Amino acid sequence: MSALVIENLSKHFGGVAAVSGVSMEAPPGRVTGLIGPNGAGKTTLINLITGVLTVSDGRIHFGGQDITQVSAHLVARSGVARTFQNIRLLAEASVIDNVMIGFYRNEKTSTLASLLGLPSARRETAALRSRANALLERFGMSQYANHEAGGLAYGHQRRVEMMRALASEPRLILLDEPVAGMNDVEAGELGEIFRGLARSGMSVLLIEHNIRFVTNICEYIYVLDSGRMIASGTPEQIVNDPAVITAYLGS
Amino acid sequence: MSDFFVTYHHLFNVFLIGSGYGLSQWIVMRAGVFSVATAGLASLGAYTAAILTTKLGWPYPLSLLAGTLMGTLGGFLLAVPLARLRGVFQAIATLAFVQVVVAIGLYADSLTGGAVGLNAIPTLVGTKETLLALVVVVYLMSAVNATRLGRAFEAIRQDEAVASSLGVSVTFHQALAFALSGAIAGLFGGLEAFQTYTLFPNTFGFPLIIAALSYVVLGGRRSVTGPIIGTAILLILPEISRPLADYRNALYGLILMLVIAYMPRGIYDTAVLYLRRRRLAASSSQEARQ
Repeated sequence: MSALVIENLSKHFGGVAAVSGVSMEAPPGRVTGLIGPNGAGKTTLINLITGVLTVSDGRIHFGGQDITQVSAHLVARSGVARTFQNIRLLAEASVIDNVMIGFYRNEKTSTLASLLGLPSARRETAALRSRANALLERFGMSQYANHEAGGLAYGHQRRVEMMRALASEPRLILLDEPVAGMNDVEAGELGEIFRGLARSGMSVLLIEHNIRFVTNICEYIYVLDSGRMIASGTPEQIVNDPAVITAYLGS
Repeated sequence: MSDFFVTYHHLFNVFLIGSGYGLSQWIVMRAGVFSVATAGLASLGAYTAAILTTKLGWPYPLSLLAGTLMGTLGGFLLAVPLARLRGVFQAIATLAFVQVVVAIGLYADSLTGGAVGLNAIPTLVGTKETLLALVVVVYLMSAVNATRLGRAFEAIRQDEAVASSLGVSVTFHQALAFALSGAIAGLFGGLEAFQTYTLFPNTFGFPLIIAALSYVVLGGRRSVTGPIIGTAILLILPEISRPLADYRNALYGLILMLVIAYMPRGIYDTAVLYLRRRRLAASSSQEARQ
């Protein structure tokens, strides 16, 4: 039920069609790939799904509900998490605080309880802190818990962003070029994590332009070029598709 | 010691009120709003409380409560049109709000006394009541900082896109911050009214905007202690620099410029950060040796 279904989606900026007539699906339990050359409209598509940009035409359904016109924070609350192409951490906050904000979606503390500093609010904060510590351990980041996130190495910042997205226990995770700038070994490790997430029942949508990585990790791939969907299918079908080869290598 | 206290008793009261205004300024900035509305909101609270007691004979605790509610309402109503503005545009819009409040204070003289001032306000509160109010506000703001709201505010302040991508409503939290700022400003405006005998509209004008902003910038924007330390420094400074009294404003400006240039996070937050970095460096070098 928590599948992402996109129907005939379009986005125009003035006269420029950044995305036009795109339909696709990201069902739970699968790592779905979305590839395309630079400027194909991949990030625009993510911004449309997450409600950051308003849709010009078409529909977005998530978990059986129409989220086409829903604002960004409510889309997030319905269980959609994302990472950003250019990593966006709370640079001045510590690593653990960056992870803790990820739990926000499922927090029970009311505004009043937080304002009054009621024991229940403080207990929940303490509980989240220990869950954040557990996540840090899982990603091998415990020793950086109290470091400022902005001062970490690039690869570590990527991990913090990933932990933050996972802390919200999403039903759909949108990964915008999560292995950009990583070597094959690091990328492979992350790829395994993504597959594990899909196995646990999450919908994973992976945006990349590195075809080799995507064909290794994804079970199904969509190819976007100049805002249009030019192909979709299994990795084998995609790498042999003449339209895809033209889009990447030129005719 | 008791001589010292007698001499500086008035200064201490001024410090308590100033800290309240500082915290009102602090809470909006905590949520990433560049508002300078504190002066206008304090004016709403001060005049509401003073008028209710002098003209309608309300007991002062009720008047203070009404002033607090008036400030809250003012802050909340201000948040609605300001939700679409950011940064310097918020500053300009809230500056205009303060000017409007000053202008109303001057022109509605049948109610406010106008430029002559609202006179003969009974002195009903002293250090004890003001200190109590400050302690309550400090507790509440520390509670905010230590729990869910503080995390939401911090996320919004640093990156709105990240905050909303995690389910944090920017509009709601900024409206809440405005309302809290209004409540604190209204309360301390009322407390000031019951300590000063006379209210003038210009008491809550440009100089107060600059003062409240300076307390936060100088002291620090993250922890609750920051604005209180900022207030203490800026209010005590003129006292200990009496020989330099002629250059008081120049000294003010110089200190602010130095702090902004070399401690952009404010004195207290910079100190906390420095200590934390030293501790981290110490612990990681210890690990390296093992």
